[in-house]
Amino acid sequence: MHDDEELLTALGEAIRAREAVPEWFVETGKNAYAWHNIDAELAQLTYDSDSDGDAAAVVRSEAASIRALTFTSAQLSIKLEVGDGLLLGQIIPPQAWTLEVHTRAGVASSPVDEIGCFAVDPIPNSPFRLRCRAEDGTDVLTVWITL
Amino acid sequence: MRDDPTVVALVTRAAGSDPTAWKEIVDRYVPLVWSICARFQLGNSDREDVAQNVWLLLAEQLGKLREPAALPGWLATTTHRECLRVVTAARKTERLGTGLDDALQFVDNTIVDEEILMAERNAALRAAFAELPPRYQQLLAMLAKDPPVSYAEISATLQIPVGSIGPQRARCLERLRKSRALAALSEGEVDVNWAGGERRA
Repeated sequence: MHDDEELLTALGEAIRAREAVPEWFVETGKNAYAWHNIDAELAQLTYDSDSDGDAAAVVRSEAASIRALTFTSAQLSIKLEVGDGLLLGQIIPPQAWTLEVHTRAGVASSPVDEIGCFAVDPIPNSPFRLRCRAEDGTDVLTVWITL
Repeated sequence: MRDDPTVVALVTRAAGSDPTAWKEIVDRYVPLVWSICARFQLGNSDREDVAQNVWLLLAEQLGKLREPAALPGWLATTTHRECLRVVTAARKTERLGTGLDDALQFVDNTIVDEEILMAERNAALRAAFAELPPRYQQLLAMLAKDPPVSYAEISATLQIPVGSIGPQRARCLERLRKSRALAALSEGEVDVNWAGGERRA
């Protein structure tokens, strides 16, 4: 009987733990599967001035509100700088890149110049990710970015 | 728990192209991701950011997970890392302390291990519960409520005599205990102690 009591308590806790999660949070998880079959290489966040002690202090003293981010995959890196209402970036190495900005609302493309520089305008106010593709089949996607 | 066949099967199916398996994975473990975000005291937009990155990474790495049965551990570690990233960034922006040092107050490996075990146990319990006939589910759901629902109210709602609630409760729990999902849990390395903790076997 005592065991039954404990099992029932544990069951209650398990049910409530699931009920405590709001639906939008569950949906975020379920929707992520849309990316499952995209055959792009993932670029991880490898640098964020907001998370880096020394570098952040230097950047902040020079220009009050510039935030720098770097995303890296085996094939390329993408540098982003955010400040003064502008989001500028550079893809290294430079080549004829096609750049897409993916948000939950949809996809927009941005031109990339011959040295790999681009601007995203307006700055997305919700999470977004960048996808870089080239003629040679390179296809790289960043993790979700929130500015 | 290392060899929980349910988890391995779900990961394998989702790594193929089975959206149903993916939804089931999310349903099973979303409370784990949520509770870690809650421990880090994140606001909703940060929680969404974390969830997006965690599930995205999983969607992309499903086929490469070295140990599919260790999925809860992978999710906990990844969520933890994403939460740390968000907290560190936020503290920096607000110039509160040194960012990482502050964020580290949320790191405690013992808590993380407990969260993983709890998530596995809760997922198994919910799966076992879902396998029960609807009438058993109704009764157990009412009995498991906190604060408890009175027998009189249960009797009125489910149209069963108060005197038979006790015996039915025992039958339902027996059935729950013998379900496939809970059997998988107790055959694993973890010896489940229903008092709320687990001991390593």
